[in-house]
Amino acid sequence: MAARWSSENVVVEFRDAQATAMSVDCLGQHAVLSGRRFLYVVNLETPSEAPRKISRQSKWDVGTVQWNPHKTEAHLFAASSNQRVDLYVWRDGSGEAHTSLQGHTRVISDLDWSWFDPELLVTSSVDTYIYIWDTRDTRKPTVALSAVAGASQVKWNRRNHYCLASSHDGDVRIWDKRKPNTAVEYVAAHLSKIHGLDWHPDNEYILATSSQDNSVRFWDYRQPRKYLDILSCQVPVWKARYTPFSNGLVTVMVPQLRRENSLLLWSTLELNSPVHAFVGHDDVVLEFQWRPQKEGSKDCQLVTWSRDQTLRIWRVDPQLQKLCCANDIMDELMEGLTLTTETEKTLRSQDSEPPLSPGFTADNSQEQFDGPQSGLSSSGKNDVPGLPQTLQQEFSLVNLQIRNVNVEMDAVNRSCFVSADCGANRVRLVVKFPAQYPNNAAPSFQFVSPTNISSSMKTKIQKILTDTSLQKVKRNQNCLEPCVRQLVSCLESDGVMEDGTNPYVLTNPVTPALPAFPRVSNTYGSYQDSNIPFPRTSGARFCGTGSLVYFTRPMTMHRMAPQTEPTPRSLSALSAYHSGVLTPMKMRTESQTTLRLYSGSPTRTDKDQVSISSFYYKERKPPLSTPRRWSVQTIHDCPKSRRWKGKREGGDYSSRPIKLSGKVIIQEISCLLPVHKALGETYVLNVNDIQDTCQKNGAAALAVGRRDLAKVWALASAATNVDLSPDPDPDAGTPWAKHPFGRHLLETLLEHYSHMSDVQSLAMLCSVFRGHGSPQEYFTLYGHQQPRPAIFTAYHSRYPSITSSSVTSGSCSSTSESANTPWNMVGRESEHAPPWGESSPVDYCYSNQIYTDPREREKEQHDMNKRLLDPSNSWQFDDFKKCYGEILHRWGMKDKRAEVLKFVSCPPEPHKGIEFGVYCCHCRSQARGTQCAVCKRFTFQCAICHVAVRGSSNFCLSCGHGGHTSHMMDWFRSQEVCPTGCGCHCLLQSTF
Amino acid sequence: MVSVINTVDTSHEDMIHDAQMDYYGTRLATCSSDRSVKIFDVKNGGQILVADLRGHEGPVWQVAWAHPMYGNILASCSYDRKVIIWKEENGTWDKMYEYTGHDSSVNSVCWGPYDFGLILACGSSDGAISVLTCSGDGHWDIKKINNAHTIGCNAVSWAPAVVPGTLIEQPTGQKPNYIKRFVSGGCDNLVKLWKEEDGQWKEDQKLEAHSDWVRDVGWAPSIGLPTSTIASCSQDGRVFIWTCDDPAGNTWTAKLLHKFNDVVWHVSWSITGNILAVSGGDNKVTLWKESVDGQWACISDVNKGQGAVTSITDSQQNEQ
Repeated sequence: MAARWSSENVVVEFRDAQATAMSVDCLGQHAVLSGRRFLYVVNLETPSEAPRKISRQSKWDVGTVQWNPHKTEAHLFAASSNQRVDLYVWRDGSGEAHTSLQGHTRVISDLDWSWFDPELLVTSSVDTYIYIWDTRDTRKPTVALSAVAGASQVKWNRRNHYCLASSHDGDVRIWDKRKPNTAVEYVAAHLSKIHGLDWHPDNEYILATSSQDNSVRFWDYRQPRKYLDILSCQVPVWKARYTPFSNGLVTVMVPQLRRENSLLLWSTLELNSPVHAFVGHDDVVLEFQWRPQKEGSKDCQLVTWSRDQTLRIWRVDPQLQKLCCANDIMDELMEGLTLTTETEKTLRSQDSEPPLSPGFTADNSQEQFDGPQSGLSSSGKNDVPGLPQTLQQEFSLVNLQIRNVNVEMDAVNRSCFVSADCGANRVRLVVKFPAQYPNNAAPSFQFVSPTNISSSMKTKIQKILTDTSLQKVKRNQNCLEPCVRQLVSCLESDGVMEDGTNPYVLTNPVTPALPAFPRVSNTYGSYQDSNIPFPRTSGARFCGTGSLVYFTRPMTMHRMAPQTEPTPRSLSALSAYHSGVLTPMKMRTESQTTLRLYSGSPTRTDKDQVSISSFYYKERKPPLSTPRRWSVQTIHDCPKSRRWKGKREGGDYSSRPIKLSGKVIIQEISCLLPVHKALGETYVLNVNDIQDTCQKNGAAALAVGRRDLAKVWALASAATNVDLSPDPDPDAGTPWAKHPFGRHLLETLLEHYSHMSDVQSLAMLCSVFRGHGSPQEYFTLYGHQQPRPAIFTAYHSRYPSITSSSVTSGSCSSTSESANTPWNMVGRESEHAPPWGESSPVDYCYSNQIYTDPREREKEQHDMNKRLLDPSNSWQFDDFKKCYGEILHRWGMKDKRAEVLKFVSCPPEPHKGIEFGVYCCHCRSQARGTQCAVCKRFTFQCAICHVAVRGSSNFCLSCGHGGHTSHMMDWFRSQEVCPTGCGCHCLLQSTF
Repeated sequence: MVSVINTVDTSHEDMIHDAQMDYYGTRLATCSSDRSVKIFDVKNGGQILVADLRGHEGPVWQVAWAHPMYGNILASCSYDRKVIIWKEENGTWDKMYEYTGHDSSVNSVCWGPYDFGLILACGSSDGAISVLTCSGDGHWDIKKINNAHTIGCNAVSWAPAVVPGTLIEQPTGQKPNYIKRFVSGGCDNLVKLWKEEDGQWKEDQKLEAHSDWVRDVGWAPSIGLPTSTIASCSQDGRVFIWTCDDPAGNTWTAKLLHKFNDVVWHVSWSITGNILAVSGGDNKVTLWKESVDGQWACISDVNKGQGAVTSITDSQQNEQ
């Protein structure tokens, strides 16, 4: 089966060819590849032989090359090069250019030999002329068709001697060579540039155009206003060409985008999804041509040339050819196939019968097939390429293996009945499809009993369904499956919100028992996967602070591809490595509504599915050829490999399932990092005794072997010596910070540790020197002359005590009146200056401008100069501390983190204060102040004096009673239970 | 010394695509082609399976732990076009949110710095990047950058919340006004930088150097230095280190770290931002460190398929 589907049987690489164009001769013997320096003629019978070369001298690439399609002239081929066409003769294994056709004044865009007259060749150019040449008279063209617009493609009709078509941007013109002055017909085919043009092989009036606008359109040029059919792709289409067998079409996407390296085979009768993808090229396909069938062989061969510099020949056998025919024929065909595997049988049955609908009886399924089927075959006879989608097809192909959902479909009445149960929610929905569906006509949705969801939910679902369906039918796509899926997800998300339980968990336990083997794997489609990156099978990540987590592919798995070949880029490469292979049938079932080939059903357990592991060869033999792997390796894997060996020797190895997942290894790499967890623990930050701090830290650094840090701490100790502490008087001399061993030394140290990324040392140094400077400086900065209250020596740091901030913010209005704490005074005292705790040196810079007295300014300048840490960098120093704080947090040292973060100059957002909200005890509405706005009664009465409380209050969090603080204090001095008599032991309940 | 502290047998039924430990390094999350996400408790060298999360319908490509200040939250992205955010509550893991706004495989998820709240960037093969922000009441606000990378986006990585260069101009007493930024890499061979302005995501920079799909990007954590650093790796085997000293963030210079023989899939920075782990299709892991003079040197090598990371310094010591 592999040969049948992934039917590439020849791959030849011509690494140096750099060919831009390719052509296959009419005898099927040779292909010519046109590179810049040589033309290579490949013998298709023995393609691996070195190709014969014809050298050419031109600085231009070959634009188009084409063999003469007539057997009598089969030795002749034409190659366009800029403004010229060279005619080459190939005889007896060597070739030469024998004549040139010159006439065009701009680059030639396309050329085509006549199908009827072996001497005639047509060329198109951007110079707006289309010339028809007679090779017997090469001096000038015999006919010149004037198009006014430059042409990108020109093609002779295959049935009519005189007819040819050219494309000009988005338009197509049909010419009769006998009437060169004007085109016979104009077709405004596309909105964007047409890249490819191809005449129907059998019908004289029909042609296919492929365009930048992401579509292929089929035209009968007698009806130029409306295309016969359209194939919507999601990317620009480079070429779309009919196949030599009936009803087939092959497309390639625009090479410039490097997006799609597969060729797709379509049935023109069924344009919803491709019949087959030719997957294998690693880069864009530049050219593809059919090799004429050999006599007696039913196979067709497709020859492709890609920018990956490989020529591939793909066999398309009769089965695949017939897939391009209508469905009924295909069923017949599948019936006759004896080779069909189990998987495909199930797939086929899914394809021909509506899946999973218990309510579906045999009768109406019969009806369903009878009705539209006749329409299907009649439209097939009309010789119209492409077939409109029918409801019956949608029903038969739709994938509705959705949890909790049952869909009964009735194609005759154009309706279906959807029943979904999700937790307690039940939804019954009748969907009716209008006759025009899905061509811009959306189905209607109606709820029927016993639907039990709320009306708001109904409205919501209705809206979602309408939106979803409109979205699809606007693009003429089917919408049943997306609608049903939307319905289910909507119900499930609602279920989560309403009753707090996840219906997903209820219906499907989180850890369902899985069959050990065969594994539940995923289906990869091939079509869209080309832009999904190839999955990682190994990776390493730094985690936490000092760990490296990594996983690699198990060593028993080797790549199927040779080591020298790079790992593929995209996921689509997988299908080439898979033996069971994606059947077109599977592609059809799963890609009904969109072009994406993705299975939505997690229940699928096909054995023959593609997985990433398919790319890797699972080793079943001992790797004798590579004994190195056994001898060299390392500590932790030894037990594993020994075990593995043992199994192999024990002989039961082959019966064991191969492990597809490797181990995840966690490695301790903290020794590579500049930060030390041990130091994080032992470092101290005591601002009251900087000297001691430095000495202790120096000892700690020595203990972990960081001698450099020990020295740094010694230096820090020296620099913070009391002898060097600055004099508040500017006239007393230059402060130590201005000395080379002052600020400069510190800056050099910081720079050094910045280079080492040693954020631990950086943060500690910054904290110590900031702590060193701060106690005195804060006072000089804000002009406090009097000795500081004792409380400040305890709370030395940037963070004011909790109390002072809450008092100064003053938003606890209810307590302020009777506040009798000593802290309040502190708050008042500092009112004339910004609260000291919340200012930073930066503050100071800004407030600088308001001072006018030069002595003041000098003093400030002096204050700045006194600091060992340059105040202008304080933000950076803060970042060091924050970053180190984060690392300490990861180490779980929350206290240490808080210690470091105290030195951050940018405080956390100023506390806005907490306001207690009061609910009126009578009407339960929220009240402000003492009187309730709603019931006009006092919101909160004192339990003792029964007066409305304003100001300081206390109440029990358990029973809610309370009153004026003073009253409460008096009461509870002697009592334990609530003064209201509710029996609550308020003191015990409100222990905090 | 570099040493293996744990070897976790995940028992995934198919290949593993990502493994990541949480903030504290106590739990390990892995995801696989078998459609599951598993969480292991790996404290003290043990391995206890805490949860086996089922919900994806395709291979799961990547996992990401959120900052623990928001609880134990894990995001996962998959081929099935979904992003699922899982949350542990009372010891059980459940879906917290499921995002289905992408039209193709979601290849990368990355949580933003905690300063920005619970914010997740997702890159998908449909070319779009979604930024999901939790508004606190369980609702998620979604901003989508359509066509961020033509063909597809393969990786996203957030910038640390720092304001390099603009330190002094900050108004006082307020929290610095961090700009949300992230970097992405895609199939258009580009590395793009994005930043949020007035609530809208805008393309800030476009970095060109790779000649094939960019497979991963990593914005180095900041320790407070003014330089921003990004690593990017690609199908073309190259790893670039991008640095920017410019406070405005406009001039980025690329430096080639190394050209590998096979695709490079992943780059990861150490917490101090001075060591880079590189892994790729050759099944090897290498560690790179910048020397004081700014040169990058390989300091380790993982032996093929099964080896431990042996630091070169270690092996040298052993030889002596």
